[in-house]
Order: sequence, then structure tokens, then C-alpha cells
Amino acid sequence: MPRLVGVVAAVLAVLSIAFTLKFYLAQTGGPAGEGGGGPAMLAGAPAQSYPVKNLAGAEDGLERYRGHIVLVNLWASWCAPCRSETPALEQLYERDRGKGLVVLGIDQGESARVAAGFATEMKLRYPILVDEDQQYGRAYAAIGLPTSLIVDRNGRIVRGIDGELSLAQMNEALDPLLRAPE
Amino acid sequence: MTGLGFAPLCALAAVALVLAQYAFPRWPGYHVWQYAAALALLAAPVIGRAFDLRRPSGGASTSMLVALLGALVIIATGLGSGLLGPDTEIVQRAPGTVAPLPDVGAAAFFPNANAQDVARGDEGVVLRRRSGPPLAIAPGGRRLVGATELELVPRIAAYVEARDARGERLTVTQPTNPSFLSPVLLFPQRVDIAGKSLPADAFATPALRRQIKAFYFSKADSDVARAHGMAGFASILFAVDDEGGRPLPGGIGFARGGTAVELGGVRLLPTIGTYPALAISAVPYPPALALGGLLVLGGIGLGFSASLGGRGTRPGL
Repeated sequence: MPRLVGVVAAVLAVLSIAFTLKFYLAQTGGPAGEGGGGPAMLAGAPAQSYPVKNLAGAEDGLERYRGHIVLVNLWASWCAPCRSETPALEQLYERDRGKGLVVLGIDQGESARVAAGFATEMKLRYPILVDEDQQYGRAYAAIGLPTSLIVDRNGRIVRGIDGELSLAQMNEALDPLLRAPE
Repeated sequence: MTGLGFAPLCALAAVALVLAQYAFPRWPGYHVWQYAAALALLAAPVIGRAFDLRRPSGGASTSMLVALLGALVIIATGLGSGLLGPDTEIVQRAPGTVAPLPDVGAAAFFPNANAQDVARGDEGVVLRRRSGPPLAIAPGGRRLVGATELELVPRIAAYVEARDARGERLTVTQPTNPSFLSPVLLFPQRVDIAGKSLPADAFATPALRRQIKAFYFSKADSDVARAHGMAGFASILFAVDDEGGRPLPGGIGFARGGTAVELGGVRLLPTIGTYPALAISAVPYPPALALGGLLVLGGIGLGFSASLGGRGTRPGL
């Protein structure tokens, strides 16, 4: 009996040492990732929503547009490519809002007065949110402005795009979603 | 010291060295050869004694063998995590971002933070794993995931609000950091100023075409800034340059947390506090450690019962 106890203990010891070695040798994941890579890496992820103010001063956020296809556009008034992209966004919104599309402009880090001045100057009718704390820019991994994200009716990010978009590029990105049955 | 007593003492010392990995998981000494050599030296008499007892005759020798094998398992887990486990890694990310942690099979979600959150410094981190429910880690808290100890450590941070001369808020960007659109400075660099190594960071306000460097002075470092009325306070030294990196007249000055300063045409209001970083340390593989512990306890129990049974043998340990 004592010999059996010793043998069982030895077997357990050898097995656990072997499993320990196997465990550590299998850890080949490497160090933590930077988490960068831009908005493109967000495809498939749920779109985060943060409560911010709209131009009327009321609380608003991406969550309020759930059920629509949303083109989220992060911008700032000082950003020249944002300015040149805006007419195409307005055109897209006016053309496809009846199909369930919302263009949601989210100003990054500026005062509501500055954002409202830009919206008036550019004659924008799509909703504009004012994100003074730049929460959306951080969460959506923006590596520059403008940054656009296409969010489906279920609140998932379909595509994240860095840089200025033409109307043709917007059409190409949105058409499959707009054509799909609700 | 007799041979019978020496091996258990070595086993005890080695087990204490291994368990220290749980008590102080961030100590870098576990991953150097000297630590492995110390464990190996302590393991040698344990292996020798276990080898002598390979044909146990019952009672004390069996209990001793079981306990020593348990100790060897524990030593092996300590050697495994020390030699094969990765060095401790401090993961710090901007608020609202995600850090993939391949070794843990998880992703760390760093929460969004505004000025008040940075001032309070009470933000936690949520770990979402491929298997298992999400794990929330509070500041100063620890979690064990597999053979990895995760600890949340507060790091210096500052939320910067920038305004122009009219008082309009300005976008803050960090072109040289992974999170481009973040007004939260995490001071990843260090710079020597006046003989002190100070945390440093940089950001920009593109609307005014300004590049701004920021250096953090803790209370302990504040004697350097005494002439600026900052003695006894944590403060930030800002240096405002134009977009070509040329210093601007009147562009250098200190600001205490919660106090605005106007430099180079930009009004800067820092809120100084902390934001969490995640310390990831390899620790001994828990299942193997548990089995080793059970064997040790089993051996002690066997020895105790043998001594109570009055078989005329000495307790194993």
C-alpha cells in the first residue's frame, strides 16, 4: 500500500510538471497589441454610443438612431478634407433618408457655437452632435479627420473608413445595406 | 542538520520563493537566471531525498515522499512561470480604447474618461475573454486569469481642455500617440529637466496650428517650479510652439490642476489625476500549483496519521 501511494504521487507529479511545461510553451500570443490600426479594424464590432449634445442643446447619441443605417462622420471645422467632404454627405442624406439612412455628423472637441456656425455655413440638414470630450473619436480609433463609420440597423459597425470620401465611395459602401431587406 | 531535515527545509524555502510570485507578481527578478538557479539549487536535495525514498517502507517515508513530490511540482510551476512566462508588461491605453491581450486570450476595454473621471482616478478596466464572462478590475484590484495575474495600477494622467482667445473650445489631437483624438495625456515619455526625470507628453490644437509639449511636475518635484508659485502643488509645464515647432513668445508656463493658463494664444486648463494601466504578470500555473499543494498537504496528513497510529515511526515533516 505505501508503495502504491508513492507511485500514484510520482505519476501525478510527473503529469502536472508536464502539463505546466506544455501550458507555458503553448503561450505564443505575444505582447499586448497597440489597439491602433485605425477605424477599419472595427468592422463587426458593436458601435459604441455616448450621450452628447446636439445643436439644439438636447442630449443625443448614436443609440437614438438604432434601426436606421447610420453613416457616422467625425469632423471638425478646422479640417479641410472634412469641409470638402460635407456637400457629398448632405447630398447623400437628402437622397437616401427616405430609405432609412441617417448621416450623423459628430464634431470632435469644438464648442457647439463653432459646430453650429459650420452647419449653417455649409447648409447642413443632417443631424450634428457636439462631442467636446472627443469620446467618439477615441472609441472609433480615429487616426485623423474625417473618419467615417457605417453602422447597420442592429448597431454593428460594417465598415470604418479613414479620410475623405467621395459620393461614389459613399454609394459603393452603402448600397448593399440600403438594398438589403429590413 | 540531518539529511532528513535538510530536504524539507529546502522544499519549504523553494515553495516560499514560488508563492512569492503571487504576493509580488510584478517583481522582475522571477525572470532572471539567478531566480531559476536558486530554485534548482533548492530542488536538488529535494530530488535526492525523494530518490532515496523511492521504495517507501510505509509510514514516515511514504508521507515524506508524497510531500516532497508535491514540493517538486510546485517548484516546477515556479520555474515554468519564471523561465517560460513573459516578463511583466504594463499596458496603458487611451480612454475609450481596446488593447488585445493575446497571451490572456482576452481584450482589455479601457473606459472613456472626462476631466472629472481623471480627477477622481477611480476608473476600472473590463476584460472580455474568448471564454468566460467579462471580468471587471477595479483600481488597485487583481484578477487571476489562467497563469496570468492582472493588476490595475494608477498612472499619472491629465485631461487638457484647450480654448482660443474667444473662449471657444478647440479639438485636441495627439499625432504622435496611438490615440489621435484624445484630450487625455498619459505621459508615456520621460525627459530630464533641472536634474529631474519628468513624465512628458505632447499634443496639438490644429485649429490654431499649435504644437504643445507637456511636462508633469509632482508635488515632490515642485521645488523646481517654486519661482512660478507652484511649490507644494502638482503642476504641468506647457511649452507652446507653432506648427513648425518654433517656440512662441510667452509660450512657456506652468498650470496647476484646475487652473487655466494662457500661452502662445491658447488657453489651457489641465485636470490632473490618474488613469489606470494594466500590469500583466506571469504566475505559476494554478492547477499544477494546486495539485502540488494537495500532495504536500496529503504527505503531511499521512505523516500525522502515521504518528498518531503509534507505529513507531517519526512524522514525515
